[in-house]
Amino acid sequence: MFKREMKINFKSFIVWLSVLLSVFLITFLMYPSIINSDNIKMMDELMSVFPEEMLKAFNFDISSMESAYGWLKSEGFVFVLLIIGCYSGILGSNLLLKEENDQTIEYLNSLPITRSKIISSKVTVGIIYIILMIVILGIFNYIGLSLSGDFDKKQYFLLSVTPMFSSLVIYFGCLFLSTFTHKTKKMSGISLGIVLVSYFFQMLSSMSEATEFLKYISIFTLADIRNVILKISINPIMIIISICLSLFFLVLTIIRYNDKELL
Amino acid sequence: MKNRVLEIKKLTKYYGNVLAVKNLSLSLNQGEVFGFIGPNGAGKSTTIRCIMNLINKNDGEILINGTAFDKDNISLKKLIGYLPSEIHLYDDLTVKEMLDYHESFYSEQLCERRKMLVKRLKIDETKKIEDLSYGNKKKLGIVLAFMHEPDLLILDEPTSGLDPIMQNVFFELIKEEKEKGTTIFYSTHILSEIAKICDRVGIIKDGKLLNVETIEELQNKNLITVTIETKQIDEIIKRLEVEVISRNNNQITFKNNSDINKLIKVLSDFSIDTLLINEPTLEEVLLHYYK
Repeated sequence: MFKREMKINFKSFIVWLSVLLSVFLITFLMYPSIINSDNIKMMDELMSVFPEEMLKAFNFDISSMESAYGWLKSEGFVFVLLIIGCYSGILGSNLLLKEENDQTIEYLNSLPITRSKIISSKVTVGIIYIILMIVILGIFNYIGLSLSGDFDKKQYFLLSVTPMFSSLVIYFGCLFLSTFTHKTKKMSGISLGIVLVSYFFQMLSSMSEATEFLKYISIFTLADIRNVILKISINPIMIIISICLSLFFLVLTIIRYNDKELL
Repeated sequence: MKNRVLEIKKLTKYYGNVLAVKNLSLSLNQGEVFGFIGPNGAGKSTTIRCIMNLINKNDGEILINGTAFDKDNISLKKLIGYLPSEIHLYDDLTVKEMLDYHESFYSEQLCERRKMLVKRLKIDETKKIEDLSYGNKKKLGIVLAFMHEPDLLILDEPTSGLDPIMQNVFFELIKEEKEKGTTIFYSTHILSEIAKICDRVGIIKDGKLLNVETIEELQNKNLITVTIETKQIDEIIKRLEVEVISRNNNQITFKNNSDINKLIKVLSDFSIDTLLINEPTLEEVLLHYYK
């Protein structure tokens, strides 16, 4: 069952990974010509026009667009967080639900296998693909950055690992929510909505004190890129919260799924 | 006394406020073919889905070999072969891959049995499941249900989509399973299938089990009607002493109160233009129980 799950989820993994790698490949190919032109000065001038809160929201206040690494710290990781977040959400939504949507669950349920085993096989596959995506992207960007110039390797390593926390919480959260429905279409929309709204909240929270509270309801607070850039360390509390939330959603998923009507 | 392989005790299932099955109890002995008959929406598939733990029952108990059949009881699950009424399999796989996948869940060697079933049901293992017709998917479903030689077969409208030749092959397989001692729960709305292979029959309507009786008992209800076209109507009525339902010029329809062989023997003495022996429709059987 594990092998089959790996196989059926491979295609979507390749598609999402290709999207991510394409974004970074284009950036690495284009960046040398951008840096060496007058455009970079114009971009810096343009940035100075924006209010401080706005720059803070995109980490432009603590990183510069003068190098590929600078771009990666600000805009680049926004793509990483969003794209891997969307992938994790859709993956979590569809893993269990696809069998119900396609009604193959009637066959699967008749096999000598427990529901918990169905969950564990599918969930493991999802975790492997999320980690694999982060690792492959990390290696790809490392090679790209090495060819583009010098950069802080420790900081880069921590930045690369950070999306894992938010992605796993999104993944397990969507997995749990998927136990309330039978249709993948509905759930895919919900999971994308959660990711985008969550990111929007996180952005708003850094813009003013009045909206700061929004960070407590945004999953992306767990991927604290700003803290990594400033302190070159990952806040252990975020790691603990991520693990606890993931386990909490996993346990709820097992309880719900074991009691769920599958048709 | 024979083992009770499947016992359903006071099964009740509601979908929201809608009653699907009410207080249904029945039991199947080892080696028995039990027909479960009822019109569409009577509660047949709901009962089966409750047995298979696909849906939660509101009340009642399902026992297999005397043990409560819970969702995660793998040892009991191994004893069951299940064929749903509408089979949905993994479209991305070929038939061979699907059979390999199925085999991987069982520790026993199923190779020989698989080969035999594939050969008899004439299944092309190279085809992709998405390219199979409804009938061929059903044939594959039969192989999957029978492959691990289960003690209990649960079949939900198994012949739908099968051509008459394949239906015969299927009935042969059922007979062989019965001879081996397999217990079969056979759900259908086709009466003739029940008469052909079942030992007992349970009749369900509106979620309630109306009656359980043997095939002989059902046949003795004299629900078969005979229509004859002949010029010797009066002589035939005199000889057979039948209960006439309708009479129209040279055509007569009557209830057959005697053995069918005796009827044919008597009729052979007359000049008959046409002879029609009509099995009762499901509706007629149900009406009989409502009388």
